[in-house]
Amino acid sequence: MNRFIMILLAFLALLVFACSDDEDDRSERFKLLTGVTWTSDSLLVNGSDASGPGQMLENFKGEARFREDGTGTFGAYSGTWSFAANETEIIILTDSLMFPLTTKIAELTASSLKVTTSFPNFELPEQPFSLRMTFKAK
Amino acid sequence: MRRLAAVFLVLFFLVSACATMGLAQQSGRVYGTVLDRQDKQPLPGATILFARERGIVTAQDGTYQLNLEPGNHTITFRYVGYRPAVHQVQLGANETLRLDVMMDPEATEIDQVVVSASRFEQRLSELTVSVSLIRPEALSSAHIGDPKELMNKLSGVEVLDGQASIRGGSGYSYGAGSRVLVLVDGLPLISPDAGGIRWRSLPLENLSQIEVIKGASSVLYGSSALNGIINFRTASATEMGESKFFVETGMFGKPRQKDWVWWESPRMQTSASFSHLKKYRNTEVGIGSFAFIDNGYRRLNDERLGRLNLRLRHHDQQIDGLSYGLNFNGGINHKRDFILWEDAWQGALKQDESTEAELHAGFFYLDPFVSLVRDGRFSHDLRMRMQASQNRFPVTTNNNSDTRSLFTEYQTWYAVGDGVSLSAGLMYYLSQIRSAFYGDHDGRNAAVYAQAEADLLQGFKLVGGVRFEHSALDGVSDKVVPLFRFGLNYQAGEITFLRASFGQGYRFPSVAEKFASTTLGAVRIFPSPDLIPEKGWNSEIGIKQGILTSNWNGLVDLALFYGQNKDLIEYVFGVYSDPHTGAFDMGFRARNIEYSRVSGAEIEFRLINTYGRFNNSISGGYVYMYPVEFNPLTNKNTGVFLKFRRHHSARLGLASAMGAFEAGLDLFVRSRILNIDDVFLNPLTRETILPGFYDYWQENNTGHFLADLTLGYNIHPRYKVSLAVKNLTNAEYMGRPGDIQPHRNVSIRFSGSF
Repeated sequence: MNRFIMILLAFLALLVFACSDDEDDRSERFKLLTGVTWTSDSLLVNGSDASGPGQMLENFKGEARFREDGTGTFGAYSGTWSFAANETEIIILTDSLMFPLTTKIAELTASSLKVTTSFPNFELPEQPFSLRMTFKAK
Repeated sequence: MRRLAAVFLVLFFLVSACATMGLAQQSGRVYGTVLDRQDKQPLPGATILFARERGIVTAQDGTYQLNLEPGNHTITFRYVGYRPAVHQVQLGANETLRLDVMMDPEATEIDQVVVSASRFEQRLSELTVSVSLIRPEALSSAHIGDPKELMNKLSGVEVLDGQASIRGGSGYSYGAGSRVLVLVDGLPLISPDAGGIRWRSLPLENLSQIEVIKGASSVLYGSSALNGIINFRTASATEMGESKFFVETGMFGKPRQKDWVWWESPRMQTSASFSHLKKYRNTEVGIGSFAFIDNGYRRLNDERLGRLNLRLRHHDQQIDGLSYGLNFNGGINHKRDFILWEDAWQGALKQDESTEAELHAGFFYLDPFVSLVRDGRFSHDLRMRMQASQNRFPVTTNNNSDTRSLFTEYQTWYAVGDGVSLSAGLMYYLSQIRSAFYGDHDGRNAAVYAQAEADLLQGFKLVGGVRFEHSALDGVSDKVVPLFRFGLNYQAGEITFLRASFGQGYRFPSVAEKFASTTLGAVRIFPSPDLIPEKGWNSEIGIKQGILTSNWNGLVDLALFYGQNKDLIEYVFGVYSDPHTGAFDMGFRARNIEYSRVSGAEIEFRLINTYGRFNNSISGGYVYMYPVEFNPLTNKNTGVFLKFRRHHSARLGLASAMGAFEAGLDLFVRSRILNIDDVFLNPLTRETILPGFYDYWQENNTGHFLADLTLGYNIHPRYKVSLAVKNLTNAEYMGRPGDIQPHRNVSIRFSGSF
């Protein structure tokens, strides 16, 4: 019986070990991104400002907040965000965008966030719009 | 002339009479009654085989009588639901021998032996995980030549366009990667490039049984067994030997929507198979072959397949328990897969010409092995699988690929004593891919595992295992991953068993998911080299109840399961940059995006019954699942259902045999698919990829009911003619988007075994 209890305890110990959480998912980049509220600095399409009324990036103007629970507000949009490609990309998903917006992180520091991406040009499919958005920590 | 004729006639009669008298004087007689050993009831219609081509059946009262030449004879008695009885008789001239035969019912369903759950032989009842067992008869009686079809009809399993999902573990990821590991005799049969299951390579001609483990099995089988395994076990040869064959031809009818008919000549499927298995002295020899021609119910979607397998196993006479040998399986497959339909209105059964791709594929594997087994004490197994495949696309040559792989495994098992056994193993896997489609890649994978099983108290058994897995691709190593499993089995009654288990799963992304870069019609696929492995765990509690009465033999199994997976890879539509040109474009890219939780319950049963002259079986199952995404950051369910999963699926199979007649009816019900990729619903993209799909889906994603009917007649104890009507009600239903499943089709098969 003693042996039974010993083995059972060994199994339980292994079970606890096996079930223990993986390493902390909160990486340095995660902390940088979620740690502050960001304010849009420049919103460029093909190198020109596109944050004016009726322009392509108008709705990204203002504050961006990447919350720790994966939700966020990005200017006038609200939805979810996630890292991808080994935390070199941020993917933004909102009901207002027709499909996930994948952005490449050009810079992420405690005070600066710069992302680039592209968006299809339905009139000229061969010439998609090149987007660059920069944010500063508030 | 007349005199000459008369002389000949007299001579003929004299010779005939002498010959007849000689025979009458020499032949012996064997007679008796065939009975059930337990209740001593006669078994009418039992088959008695006494020569290569000769056999009779017992009369209504179970009696039989054979006239045989003097000498030694092997007489085999067979009856459905009973173990075959083989008797050797020595018959003298004019001798009459009485041979009453007591037949034993097959081992109860609960005592069936499987190997997959712990990598050594165990009874179903003593397992700690859910295992479904399929006999090869299920393939032959239902005219199934494609193992995908069989798996798709199994409780708790769904195969979407070749991708298997067990208890909701997977959705559909466009043919790349598999979370279910398929094995042949315990060795993996997954393609090194796409990471998909090589369904068409499976040697169905020569199977003893198929074992399906429903739950994470990575501790014993490594990557890809995240969701479960399907182990195809080939049959061993006996001294009696057996040869089997079939030829089959079938035809599709018309679909419900007559507008979909595009053909003028009938759409036919034809297949043939032959296998022979016999032990010659100390060497088992097996050969199997299969040929298949399908001209397709869908336009630009057809297949020709040829397969050959060999099996050699020599049992050493000097060293007890030592055996070694070689298995080979290879084939050629020319086909055009169905990717996208033309449209939902008149072109649902027509492939869009932009995705037509003819593939000429060749494959083989060669398995040398050495095994030393001392029953009940220890075993050592060293096995290898050398695998090679070649995909050639005569038109789109950029998609060509060549793969080589070498899998080596050593496994040992020891009975330590007092109901405790230990097993351990080492595994090493090398793969090489040469392809413009995937790029050139070299991978290696090493693992060490150990497991202990202990019968500690009366009827109480514990299992624990650990595995350390390491993988490297193109010289870049992943971290070493530890994986664990635990299980418990308790015999609560004579044939009542309770079980509980926990197992971890792990899957490295396939080369296809990481590196495939191509354009399929309107669909662009982007590579995703930064993918990380999928990981997860699942748990279950279950009860297995044997049923054993004078008329019924069977089992009922109930399981409650719960599991979760992280970083599951899915293809997501979006705007991505080309890694070579940097240009952005719309298309699909694999991403670690899905965080899944699946809970549910499954009941599975199989009952065999004898009622008068009828031998019946009832089998089936029902699965309820709640498959939902969770937010890994908050650990809370999001309420969004996982893609390509359903809540309900059920199967009921009825089969009956009486004398020479057999009949079977299989019924399937599946509820609607709960969620699919946004790209098929998004107004921006849905019409570009699958014209007409959105409206079709809104109207027709309601679940489906299917019925398959089979009828068979044994024209001779060794030969059978059978008819199968699949999709009897001509139901119209879809697998993954755009993949309309076969409508009603009828096939006829002539089969035999001798």
